[in-house]
Amino acid sequence: MDLKKEIRKSWVIMIKEFRQIIRKKAFMIPMFMFPIVMIVFFGYGMGGTVKNADVLIVNDDTGIASSSLVQEIGSFIPKYGDDKMFSITYTKDMGQSEAERKIDSGLYKAILIIPQDYSERVARNESVTLTLLTDSSDTSSSSIIINFMKQLFSGTSSSLVTLKIPDIYGKLQYIDFLTPAVIALTVFMGTIQTMGYAIAGERQDGTLVRIMMTPVSRGAIILGKTLHQLVLQLARAVVLIIGAIVILGVTMNGSWLLVALVLIIFTLSAVGLGMAISAVSEDMTSFQAISMLIAFPSMFATGVFYPLSSVPDWMRWIAYMVPLSYANDAMRTIMIKGLGLSFIANDLIILALFAIFYFALGVYLFRREV
Amino acid sequence: MESIIEVRNLTKVFNSRGRKITAVNDVSFDVSNGEIFSMIGPNGAGKSTAFAMMTTLIKPTSGSIKVAGFDAENEDDRIRPIIGIVPQKLSLYPDLTARENLELMGNLYDVPKKVMEERIEYYLKLVNLETHADRFTGGFSGGMKQRLSVISAVIHDPQIIFWDEPTTGLDPQTRQAIWKLGRKFNTEGKTLIFTTHYMDEADKLCDRVAVMNAGKLMALDTPENLKKASNSTSLEEVFIHLTGEEIRD
Repeated sequence: MDLKKEIRKSWVIMIKEFRQIIRKKAFMIPMFMFPIVMIVFFGYGMGGTVKNADVLIVNDDTGIASSSLVQEIGSFIPKYGDDKMFSITYTKDMGQSEAERKIDSGLYKAILIIPQDYSERVARNESVTLTLLTDSSDTSSSSIIINFMKQLFSGTSSSLVTLKIPDIYGKLQYIDFLTPAVIALTVFMGTIQTMGYAIAGERQDGTLVRIMMTPVSRGAIILGKTLHQLVLQLARAVVLIIGAIVILGVTMNGSWLLVALVLIIFTLSAVGLGMAISAVSEDMTSFQAISMLIAFPSMFATGVFYPLSSVPDWMRWIAYMVPLSYANDAMRTIMIKGLGLSFIANDLIILALFAIFYFALGVYLFRREV
Repeated sequence: MESIIEVRNLTKVFNSRGRKITAVNDVSFDVSNGEIFSMIGPNGAGKSTAFAMMTTLIKPTSGSIKVAGFDAENEDDRIRPIIGIVPQKLSLYPDLTARENLELMGNLYDVPKKVMEERIEYYLKLVNLETHADRFTGGFSGGMKQRLSVISAVIHDPQIIFWDEPTTGLDPQTRQAIWKLGRKFNTEGKTLIFTTHYMDEADKLCDRVAVMNAGKLMALDTPENLKKASNSTSLEEVFIHLTGEEIRD
């Protein structure tokens, strides 16, 4: 074997590979974009802190101890941050059940109830109990807030101050926070991906044109592909949820019907988006490139892996523009909090608007381009 | 003989990155009912574009096409059920079996279930694919795919069959088998319109041949008359005579 010749031929093959990959611009862009997007989103999103979390303090005590406590909480800035950890609202005379309803509605991440005789008891060196309610459906923010409060009270002069932290949604772990959003994410990515194969892929291999030569309307083609997605994604979600409950012990406190309703509306918007991307993609390579550019920010900016309360404002604005954010919120509200239709109504309305917009765009582009 | 297709002043202009390309330029011809009609021409002559307009897939820029009396632009829903199409790019679903591919086409053409089942058995046997009926077409050879593609285009018993380069890349045996099928369909009364780059096929099989070049119809007649008119001994000579020797992109 002539080693020199072998090396020269290897060189020729390598140059050929580079020529091919450099000419696939649709492939090159996400290849470099992907790690940047990962670093930026994970770096900012998983900072392990909470910024300006909405906290309600129910303070029925007018004494000095409670005033200084409230001031300390309100002015706390984490060590590696510039923003205050909490955005405090004050009120008086609110019972625990009413406070729980406020948490349910998503208005506050935490509510601290200070009893009327707090200052007096602290002054007399007597034991006193404060109640801390947290939105434990957001396990990350909840544990950060609980840890902060525990540290705060362990540092006070009186070690007799205890914190009562009721588990209003049961014992929850990070996996409970993650699972509803991962299911929504799976539906979103899965729908876009399979719509790509169903339109851009079929267009590339000629089968879509063959179908369009038959007496079948474009509307029937779209409806057939949409129904397929709805059934596929719902079945997928059911299998995933059951698997997560049985194998991982994930919490499912809410209604299966509501989960189905959220996923149907959400899938329609993903079908529309997938159809729109497929229609403007020349082939599967360009489809993959465009869909990745949309999918990655959706995946990392919408609070799937970390709460939106911990991300910078610019990331939150991206999240507001992606339907996955609202699906995540609705899925967590149903599955973790076990709440009903009225609590996810806003999410559903926004998801429906997204579905109408994306579906109309998808149908328009499909009719024009395919 | 009565015309089954009437093409009048057909023109198609595409916009490609701001540039206008006239793919078909003021073409008129008739195809008679029951004839075997071929369109030949070099690459880019406009054959496939004319095909796409006749099969209602794209709309003309100007001019008109009538297929079995129906206007191709506005009555595509009346035309599609009576035509069968074998596209140039074989478009079978690789993850479906031969039978499932045929059933899909049958269902899209509203063929009644019992009739469809009988036809599937008959046609699979006709093209020697009966033992491969339940195999995925992804593993089929080029010849098998072409045979299946041909019968999937006639599963609804169309009046007119459009074949776009049906024998390109096939071995002589498969080419012969395909043309045997074409003749058989023709003797059953179906009109056959096809494009080809094989001049011998057009010469032997066609009643009439249309020669296209750069979007224009250069000549249309029987193979014999075309040869006589240009004092040629073969259709290939006629082709070169009418379209030139220059290689097309």
